[in-house]
Amino acid sequence: MIEIRNLNIKLGSFRLKNISFEVKEGEYFVILGPSGAGKTVILELLAGLIKPDKGKISGINSKKSALIYQDYMLFPHLNVFKNIAFGLNIKKEKKDTIKKIVTETAAKLDISHLLNRDILNLSGGESQRVAIARASAVDPLVYLLDEPTAALDINTRKGILELFKNIHKENKNTFIHVTHNFEEALFLADRIAVIKDGEMIQIGEPNEIFNHPKSKFVADFVGFENVFHGKIKDNIFTSVHDEFFKLYLPSENTNNIYLAVKSEDIIVSKEKFESSARNQFKGIVDEVIHKLANIEIKFKVNNSKLICAVTKFSFEEMQIEPGKQFWLTFKSSSIKAFPH
Amino acid sequence: MKKIFVIFLIILILSISLPLLNMFLKVSVQDLIKTLLDEEVTKSIFLTLRASLWSTSAALIVGVPASYILARHNFFGKRILEGIIDIPVIVPHTAAGIALLTVLGRRSLFGEITGISIMGTETAISVGMFFVSVPFLINQVKTGFRLIDERYEKVAYTLGATPFQTFYKVSLPLVKKSIMSGSIMMWARGISEFGAVVILAYHPMIAPVLIYDRYESFGLNYARPVAVLLITICLIVFIVLRFVEHKSGNNAK
Repeated sequence: MIEIRNLNIKLGSFRLKNISFEVKEGEYFVILGPSGAGKTVILELLAGLIKPDKGKISGINSKKSALIYQDYMLFPHLNVFKNIAFGLNIKKEKKDTIKKIVTETAAKLDISHLLNRDILNLSGGESQRVAIARASAVDPLVYLLDEPTAALDINTRKGILELFKNIHKENKNTFIHVTHNFEEALFLADRIAVIKDGEMIQIGEPNEIFNHPKSKFVADFVGFENVFHGKIKDNIFTSVHDEFFKLYLPSENTNNIYLAVKSEDIIVSKEKFESSARNQFKGIVDEVIHKLANIEIKFKVNNSKLICAVTKFSFEEMQIEPGKQFWLTFKSSSIKAFPH
Repeated sequence: MKKIFVIFLIILILSISLPLLNMFLKVSVQDLIKTLLDEEVTKSIFLTLRASLWSTSAALIVGVPASYILARHNFFGKRILEGIIDIPVIVPHTAAGIALLTVLGRRSLFGEITGISIMGTETAISVGMFFVSVPFLINQVKTGFRLIDERYEKVAYTLGATPFQTFYKVSLPLVKKSIMSGSIMMWARGISEFGAVVILAYHPMIAPVLIYDRYESFGLNYARPVAVLLITICLIVFIVLRFVEHKSGNNAK
């Protein structure tokens, strides 16, 4: 287990304040936060590249952890083969062994055809695959990923994320992945730590973070006020936390999926109405929160909650107040699904 | 605006090239051949090229690691160190020669203790050239290191490289071009040095001293062919080196 205790560091105008967390062996741990929040610094501290002013890091061998940056950092004076072989050369492995490992690693990552290429002629996706190959060739215990897909287009990004997922599944390495993209976090994370301005705001499993954001920042950052964790069978989603909470969503069967709905996408009405929307719930007003642009209403639906946003005008006209019952409706197409 | 600026550029280029061109035109082919066959001239030209090569080599050995430290680390007094390295560029070179003589001459502490006097030797010439031209190498290489993203080195560390391995397997190859151009600059500066060297070693005469000596003893017509020859040889060497440098590619970004 990797343990970080009360980490403090000041770098120029930037500082990390009392960062503490643990990462279990084999866990996929995502550090989520906006740019400039200090995510990279945490990784470099973990990799032993910089020393904290105060605090302790234990359980991580910096020589056994591989760092992958968003802009790849492939050595420009070496070709693809030599980049992947770099760590093996340092270890003074035999030439045959190096060749074997590089060839195998390249095959796994689908870059065998690139081995003799110059670094400067690679696309972003290819470069990131080479960087992953270079890291995994030395068989690290821990992968430290610094926004590894930030420089990639959406399609390439998906491939790279799946690659991490597969490596994690196959080898059970520990992953510590920093990103500002919450979709990535939902897709990959066993646990998520949210960080802002050098401070750790919340740590927990994805549904904890998304359903019970500890601060407005987390909620705003996530952007989806309603997140559900559960499974889908025969186009019906059932929450793991509330077996009576079901959603209609045409989808493949899966045992592990996150669904997210924005509060603006939910229609509040006094009566049930017929429409193309397939998801309608009876909800009781639990809490009313006045915001700058609109009014957020927390509804209780069975044992779950749904957050809906309405305008001030509707709020007054419909005389919404705690304890009253309303119908909540949204289209399946407004549900965003994140298979885990 | 562009037109006016271009005119300035032309004035600049002419002010450099016209005197040189004029000098070349004033020297006849016969004079040039005669000078080329003059053993004193060829010997002194070779001495000049060689002594500057020694000083550049010495600077590479100590200067590259020093540049790395200056580029990568911040420490108390770093600005002062950088200032000290730049001193040779701003002091009159004859003054630099006097300073060196004070330290290395027969009567200096160094001379008294070791009993060695390097005055009037090729070593003295190299020392003089080193003193006045080493900033060119250091500053060029320092800039080179500074432009290299430190994260290349960080990646190398995480792949198991020691700091020393990281330096010669990653950092050094990445500043290859800066090292080459810095070396060429320093070597060239060494060859053209007069002031510091003339104080440390009038004899054996390096080419700039020989040109001065011939001008003093025999006049302009005798000094000119030597100057033309030296410049020609230097130009050829630099063009070749720049070509090689260009071929060897860029500093990695």
